[in-house]
Amino acid sequence: MIEINGKEISDLTDLQDEKMKSDLLTLNMGPQHPATHGVLRVEIKTDSEVIAEAKPYLGYLHRCFEKHAESIDYRGIVPFVDRMDYLGAMGMEWGYAVTVEEMLGTEVPRRAQYIRTIVGELQRIASHLLFYGVYAIDLGAFSPFLYAFEEREKILRFFEEMSGARLLYNYIWIGGVWNDITDDQLVRISKFIENLDEELKKFHALVGENKIFIGRTANVATVSEEMAYSFGATGPVLRGSGVDWDLRKKRPYGIYEELDFDVHVGKGEKGTVGDCWDRYQVRVLEMHESIKILRQCLDGIEEGSIMGKVPKVLKVPEGEIYMRTECPRGELGYHLVSDGGKTPYRLKVKSSCFTHVSMLPALAPGQLIADFVATIGSIDIVLGEVDR
Amino acid sequence: MLNEIATFLNGAVNGAEANAHLAEVGHGCVTVDASKLFGCAKALKESQEFDMNVLQVISGVDFPERIEVCYMLASFTKNTEFILKVKLPKTTPDAVPVIESVCSLWLSADFLERETYDMVGVRFLNHPDHRRILCPEDWEGYPLRRDYKVQETWNGLTVNPEEKVNNGDHFFFKDIIEKMGDEKKKVTFSWKGDDEEDEKAKAKETQA
Repeated sequence: MIEINGKEISDLTDLQDEKMKSDLLTLNMGPQHPATHGVLRVEIKTDSEVIAEAKPYLGYLHRCFEKHAESIDYRGIVPFVDRMDYLGAMGMEWGYAVTVEEMLGTEVPRRAQYIRTIVGELQRIASHLLFYGVYAIDLGAFSPFLYAFEEREKILRFFEEMSGARLLYNYIWIGGVWNDITDDQLVRISKFIENLDEELKKFHALVGENKIFIGRTANVATVSEEMAYSFGATGPVLRGSGVDWDLRKKRPYGIYEELDFDVHVGKGEKGTVGDCWDRYQVRVLEMHESIKILRQCLDGIEEGSIMGKVPKVLKVPEGEIYMRTECPRGELGYHLVSDGGKTPYRLKVKSSCFTHVSMLPALAPGQLIADFVATIGSIDIVLGEVDR
Repeated sequence: MLNEIATFLNGAVNGAEANAHLAEVGHGCVTVDASKLFGCAKALKESQEFDMNVLQVISGVDFPERIEVCYMLASFTKNTEFILKVKLPKTTPDAVPVIESVCSLWLSADFLERETYDMVGVRFLNHPDHRRILCPEDWEGYPLRRDYKVQETWNGLTVNPEEKVNNGDHFFFKDIIEKMGDEKKKVTFSWKGDDEEDEKAKAKETQA
């Protein structure tokens, strides 16, 4: 009879099992880890370099948004939704505005719709540029980040001119937008996007076609179509898996119906369909599409008012609604339950990042730790939106 | 479409008691009997006609006598979506209703059900990893219940200590103090405003 750690082992196979288990090393990745893009803790059990199990722990950035929303009037919630996805705040505001407008039956003026589309698409470019830069850093390349941020900063300057803030805008209001856009600003935006196509192609050549980058991302963390559906993945993650699904096309809101643009899906050019490289490529190609949309909006923008008719004391009729919009990181849904009062009875947010984080335990087993970093980067999460 | 779904569910699942509620404002929903939720969800997912392949989100809504759990189902192949709803009665204000988990149908249900348990307090049977997700594991109460009060202490720390509460910054803080007195533990003032009742009283007075 052998005794190990106070336990009597009678059989040699027992001993082996015990030994096998003790070989797994538990590591905490995060909450403060540069590759987790915020305060996400992932408890990983590793067998040397290979991950056996990964468990995400959320809630480090939980700010009770849904609880606060129950006591603030409808207009006052707009600055709060900014703070969920602070890198794509225009998308958050737009989704919220669309939800309340649908309940109120408000008609949004055409000019406001155009301005919303312009800022929404600029935000998409800014958000994807940030992804591009940070993803390269995750994989060990520092300089692409600086190029991407130079362009992103120009967009943030535009936003600052329009709304007064770089990141948290409070710009899209219920019924329209807060501030009008001047002709001078439109000219400068069109000048900015004139060369952006070329710049983006250079960016892609620098990172996307790089042999090391392809080696690190192709065939890594493949998400099949079935798996994407089952996990409720949306946005670039779903499109990366080869599914032609974009709310702007499938369920158009605003003026997207009138605009001409394509939806890009992952084709598995460098590896299998749905790997990290595909998700990267979908985002890069989406930026080109956003530029296409911006050109059409700048040509077609109409004169007129920027605010629809909204009652001074905003009371939403009794009922419930679930509305979703296409944000840079995926679909954002608001489930609004109203009891006819000045504040929502319940406002539930469907965050795309939350569902994407839930994919990590399924993707991690069998990966190298370094590949896991590439996986987290490729689903492009913002912890503010995950924890709300 | 809601009517079709309700008819389909009543045919496919014995005792589903599916009812379509069409709404004038916003979106309608289909309610089913809570004990038959799993069967209904399975039927919807596997049916050729509806093919509900995505569970987008689970939203729990607390009402005085019941908790409504809304499953936002969608078919990304047929481009349809609707709200599947179950109503769970609360026998006491603190009661935690029980419902069957749909984790085996959609993988997204894992985190979504954990969040619903954490925030609204609904227990899901057969959930593989039934823990809190956003709050600490030893947190008390369910924050998104309407009558929720924050606990006094947590792990020896005072929750919401008086001197740390930023009275000046909360633009609705005055309102809360006026309406609720010193009950700062309720996080925010989350009941229906009194002004509506005042309005009703005024209307009555003018009529009289």
